[in-house]
Formats: sequence, C-alpha cells, structure tokens
Amino acid sequence: MSKTVRSFLFVIVAMSLLLAACGAPAATEVPVVEEPATAPAEPTTAPEPTAVPTEEDPMAMYAPDAVEGDVVTAGSSTVFPLSERMAELFQQEGFAGNVTVDSIGSGGGFERFCVAGETDIANASRGIKDSEVEACKAIGREPIEIRVGTDALAVVMSAENDFVTSLSKEQLGKILIGEFTTWNQVDAAYPAEKIEVYSPGADSGTFDFMVESVVAKALPKVDDKDDVKGAEEKLLGLEGAQFSEDDNVLVQGVNGSPYAIGYFGFAYYVENQGTLKAVAIDDVEPNQESVDAGEYPLARPLFIYSDAKILAEKTQVAAFIYFYLNNVNDNIVDVGYFPAPAADFQASVDALMAAVSK
Amino acid sequence: MNQPELSKKFRPGESIIQSLLFLAGILSIFITLAIVYELGKEALLFFNDPDVTLGKFFGTTKWQPGIGQYGIWALVSATLTTSAIAVLISLPLGLASAVYLSEYASPKARSILKPILEILAGIPTVVYGYFALLFVTPILKSIFGDGIQVYNMLSAGLVMGIMILPLISSMSEDALSAVPRSLREGAYAMGATKFETSAQVALPAALSGIGAAIIIGVSRAVGETMIVAVAAGSGPNFSFNPLEAAETMTGHIARISGGDLSYNSIDYTSLFAIALMLFLVTLVLNLISQWVVKRFREQYE
Repeated sequence: MSKTVRSFLFVIVAMSLLLAACGAPAATEVPVVEEPATAPAEPTTAPEPTAVPTEEDPMAMYAPDAVEGDVVTAGSSTVFPLSERMAELFQQEGFAGNVTVDSIGSGGGFERFCVAGETDIANASRGIKDSEVEACKAIGREPIEIRVGTDALAVVMSAENDFVTSLSKEQLGKILIGEFTTWNQVDAAYPAEKIEVYSPGADSGTFDFMVESVVAKALPKVDDKDDVKGAEEKLLGLEGAQFSEDDNVLVQGVNGSPYAIGYFGFAYYVENQGTLKAVAIDDVEPNQESVDAGEYPLARPLFIYSDAKILAEKTQVAAFIYFYLNNVNDNIVDVGYFPAPAADFQASVDALMAAVSK
Repeated sequence: MNQPELSKKFRPGESIIQSLLFLAGILSIFITLAIVYELGKEALLFFNDPDVTLGKFFGTTKWQPGIGQYGIWALVSATLTTSAIAVLISLPLGLASAVYLSEYASPKARSILKPILEILAGIPTVVYGYFALLFVTPILKSIFGDGIQVYNMLSAGLVMGIMILPLISSMSEDALSAVPRSLREGAYAMGATKFETSAQVALPAALSGIGAAIIIGVSRAVGETMIVAVAAGSGPNFSFNPLEAAETMTGHIARISGGDLSYNSIDYTSLFAIALMLFLVTLVLNLISQWVVKRFREQYE
C-alpha cells in the first residue's frame, strides 16, 4: 500500500476508535436522562381507571417502571392482538422487561399454563374446562378468571363474493359437518361451486366455540345432550378443509377465492375489511350495536387467566394485569373487539384486587 | 555398536491430533445414532397405542390423529407431489445451466453467472415460501382461474425447484469439469460438434456425479419445510393433483408443533412417527444415490 493510503487508513481507524470511546459514555448516559422523563409522565396517565380503586399507595408498587422481570403469556389467537397491544403500551409506559405473547390457541395456552406451568398468564377465547382446572390444581395453581372483553366471532368470505349476505346457524352448521359441499346446496340460487372451508385447528378456542354453539347443534343429540365429540370429529374430518392456529393463514385462504368461507376473531376481520366481508348470522350483522344488545348469536367472552401465587411472586405480572384492566376499555375497540359488559368487568377487577391483596 | 533407531519415532503431538480428528469423525456417527434413537423411542410409543395399527398407518389415506385416523399416505402423497414438481423444474434447468457454464460460457460470463446462481441458494426458505404464496400463486390463478386453490402444491413445487436449482447446477458443473479433457479432445478429433461432445460424451461420463446431484436435490426437496408450510396448504389431503391444497409431512410437523401439545398425547407421538418416516425416506434415497454412483462409475472409468 502507498504511504498516503496507509496514513489515510490510520486516521480513519484512529477516529473511529475515538468516536467509539466517546460514544459509549454518551450511550450509557442517555437512558439515565430518559428515566426521569418517563416517571413524571406516568402518574398522570396510569390512574385513570373507571372502575379500579384509586389508592395510589398500595398500587404504586405495580407501576410499569417500578417492576422488573419478564411476563410470559400464551394462548388464544383471538386474544393475541389485544394482549399484544396491552404489552406494547405497558412497555411504552416504562416497563423494562419483556412481555411475550404466543398465539397457540386457547387449548395450547391452558396446556402451557396448567400442565407445563411455563406461562404466567393464559389467554383464552373460551372459559376454562374442568379438566384444565384439575390439571392446574395438580401443579399447585388455582386459575383466576379475568374477563377482558367480548368478541363477535366473524364468519367471513372474500369481498369478491357477491351472492352470500347472510347464513342461518343451521346452514353454517351443515356446511361445517360436510352435509353441504357445494354452494347451490345451501341455496338453490347460489352457483354450483365447491365450498372451501378455512378453520382454526383443534387447539383453538375459536374452534371449540364454533363446535359447541353451531356444529353440535347440526347433529342429532346423543343422550339428550349436544354431540360435541361427534361434531368435533365431523369438522376435523371435513374433506378439503384447511386448519391453522394462525388466523393470518386463514385470512390469506379466504382472500384467495370467492367460494371460500372461514371464521375467526372480529379483530382479524377489522384488519382486513378491504378484502373480506363478514357474513350476517341469522340476519344479524356483527357490530357494536348487535353485540351490546346481545343479538349477535356468535358473541363470546375473552379471558385472561392467572394464579394468586404467580401474582405474589412476580409483581410484574400483577402490574401487567392491573395495567391491562386499566387500559383495555380505551383500546379494545381500536384492536377490533368489544368491551366486556360492565358487571363482568367489575367482577374481574374485584377478583384481581382480591388475589393481589392476599 | 549403536544400532540406529529404525522404528517409527513416537510423536505425541501427532497422536493427539489423530485422536481429536477421530473424535470429530465419530461425533457425526454418534449424533446420527442419537437422532435415530430419540425418534424411534417416541415413535414406538405411537405404534404401541392400541388405536394405532400398522395396517391403519400404511393402509388408509386420511390423517387426523385427533379423531383416530392414521393413514400416513395423506401426508406422503403431498411430499411426493411437491418433490416431483421441484425435481421436474430444477433438473432440466439445472443440467442445462451446468452444461452452459462448463462447456459454452466464456470465463467472463461464468464469473458473472455463477455468483448470481449462488445467491439463489442463499435466499432463506421462508422468503421463498412467501414468494410462492404472494407472487407465484396469483400468476397461477390468472392461468388456471378458479381451478386452483390459494394454497396449492404447484406453486410450492415450482418455488422449491427454483430453490434446489443452484444445488443441482453447481454439483453437475463440478461433475462435468471433472471429465478428463482427453475424452473431449478425442470427440473433437473425431469430428463431433460442440453440442454432440457435451451431450453424448461429457454428460454420460459425468453421469455418476450428476446422479448424486439429483439425489441430493431430491433429498433437499423432501425435507423442505418452510416453503410447503407457507404455500402448500394446512390440511392433510390424499391427492396427487397439484392444483389442490395438501399438507406435506414436514409442513404438518411444523404446523402441529407450532400449536401446543401435551406430552404423550397421540398428536405428540404421531409427530415422531412422521419424522421417522421422513428420516427413512431420506436414508433410502441416500442409499440409492450411493448405489447409482458406484454402478455408473464402473462403466465409464
């Protein structure tokens, strides 16, 4: 290398080392400067709850920037966007740890919470089953049910579809058990094209809900009770149906054909309103009014579950749930769901307070 | 009289290096045996389940362990279809590009084209998967109209073919370069044209290497997970129609283990049975490739 090139390179290396040395202390200074900025901002935003008691002192220890550690949650793909939004806001308010939210289906979430004991919070779009409560007790956990919102399960088709506007629960049930395989069987006016079904898989709470409330009703009763097991078998064995716990896969599928039908949480429909349309069930469209009035047949509760021992040992989990309940009603409509009825919400708040003050 | 020491001098450094290298070699065997043991142990739990019989496993064509259906052919058919499409695409194109790069291309052209081909090999498979779903499928939809579903085996197979193209091309090119110049020069001396030399002299001589390349490409296609998980479909479907959606063995393992399974449930152990099948298929393909290489090498050298 010529002398000029070598000296030039030496200058570059020396300058970069100098900058790195100066940059490091500057980098460590920045977070110190930021902290005081967030702390004064926090008290003005957090205690705005409509229903949560405003005692600053006992709950100050649950402020987002006062707790540390990680929060591990997993479960329903329906609750996923809501929990994710809450986690984002929680971290914006100064929480230093990580909040992980995994979308693996309500069944999967309970599996991890009650059998493996790996998660702190289970997200669910259905109530916990007795067998799952038993499993939790076997590992020393007593699940606390916290209602966070309401979902209007959306049955969707592509916006390109121009012949279906409403389906009755019976028609939907018959499509899902495979009794109707082409659209002209549903209604003689529809074209004779194959019905393509996109459904959440067996681990999903959405799947369980659809099986119990629609598919089981399309089968003859067994011992005077709804044949849930048989309904599950029929839906899982449906010829040509595509299953996925990831609702985005279902969105892709339904988008791709005017003869495809799928179902998932309302938030995924809201996100894709340009390319999808929600089918009215029994002539009732899913929206704020029909859910509030209790008319939409496929409205269902959204829950998160935790345990008092976890809340005591890991204050960051209690802080997260406290923050969740404080802020969910302000954000839930934006995420795409509906607020829980006031009485249920208050009961959840009381349950949290009781667990935390033990 | 001092007898000179004629035996081999003991060098401790060499012995240490030799044993370390021996350990490295043994490690790969050990890992393979460990994998087979783990797969076999859990797969045995699957086959020991009273509901599962070998007859159901190899004899039926519906796969839904949750409701007692255990026909592996539903998944194997999709694996075979996507791999076949991938090989049909990559084999002619790969061989043609290998012949071009080794026989016809000027050094400058080769220096530009070869790195670009290597880039194709470096693209992450999940990117390929979304490329298949979001770019190739709409093109196929415009060709086939409503006859093709959004998730289908054809677009996954096509993109898999593009993915293994650089593999087949570079291995075939290496095989072609290894053909001795004397063979080619003999052909030219006899008056053969360039194409006749490439196709009828060089290619047959390199056949063992090309055969190995094909089998490695097929093994890669069979084991490919992300492309088929994203683009081929998520419901087991016994069908050889590439316009339909179907789930391959690898895609099924990826989807089901992405949800959550209780240990010792039938879904969990069935995954190991599928993985064992996959392992066996790959093993059989490798054995075939070794046999092909051995056999054809005898004839041309």
